[in-house]
Amino acid sequence: MADVDVFAAVASPVRRQVLSLLRDGGSRPVQELADHFDMRRPSLSEHLRVLKDAGLVVERRSGRQRLYTLRAEPLREVADWLHPYERFWREKLANLRDLLDGES
Amino acid sequence: MTNCAGVIAIDQYLAHPPAHVWRTLTDPELLARWLMPNDFAPVVGHRFTFHTKPRPDLGFDGTVHCEVLELTPERLLRLAWRGGRLDSTVTWTLRPEGKGTRLFLEHAGFDTDDPAQLHAYTAMGGGWHSIMTRALDRMLLAPSG
Repeated sequence: MADVDVFAAVASPVRRQVLSLLRDGGSRPVQELADHFDMRRPSLSEHLRVLKDAGLVVERRSGRQRLYTLRAEPLREVADWLHPYERFWREKLANLRDLLDGES
Repeated sequence: MTNCAGVIAIDQYLAHPPAHVWRTLTDPELLARWLMPNDFAPVVGHRFTFHTKPRPDLGFDGTVHCEVLELTPERLLRLAWRGGRLDSTVTWTLRPEGKGTRLFLEHAGFDTDDPAQLHAYTAMGGGWHSIMTRALDRMLLAPSG
C-alpha cells in the first residue's frame, strides 16, 4: 500500500525528471540516475524513496547495484483527475473568453 | 472540475450577456474561431462535423461527428459528440450571472477503462505532452507494465 500521495510525489521537478529518465531508458542503476543531477547521492536516494513509497518506481537489487524501474499505474489516479479532454476544454474556454473580450 | 470518471464538468464566468455567449456557441464562424472548423446549424437533429488534426496512430481521423440533440436559445445546447471510438455528449448550459453569464460545460460518456478511448481523448486534447500522459500511454500500450 503506497503511503505517499502520487500528487505529492510528482510535485517535485527532480522526481519528475527521474520518472522521465526511467520512462525513456527502462531500468536504471541509481548511480546512472545520479549522473543526471547536480546533487549529492543521498538527496537523490531520498527522492527515489518518495517515488518508491508512492508506488511509482520499483527497486530491485542486481549484484551490488540497485535498479529502478518505472511503475506507471498510480499515474492513472492523476490522469483521472486531470483528464486530457478536460485540458482540451479549458483551453477552448480560454479561447472563447478571449474571443468575447476581444469583440466588445 | 471532473466530478467522476467518465464525466467532465467545467464552468466559466464570461463578462458578456447570454445572448453574446449563445452566438459564439451557435454561429459556425464564431464557433470555428474558438473551438474547431464546423458546419453547425442551430437546428435539433442537424448532423455536422468538427475538424481537427487526424491522429491515425491513435485511430482518430480528425473528424468529430456531432448531432444537435437539444436546443433552448440562450439557455442550453446539447450535442452528440462522436470521434474515433468515443461516443459522448457535450452539454452547454448558460445562466445569467450579474452582468455576465456563467457557462457550464458537461462532457459525458467517457469509458475510462477503454485504452483506445483514453488515446482518443489525448489526441483530441491535442498535445497534453506531460509526463503523466506519456507514462500512461506507455502503461496502456504495455499493460503488463
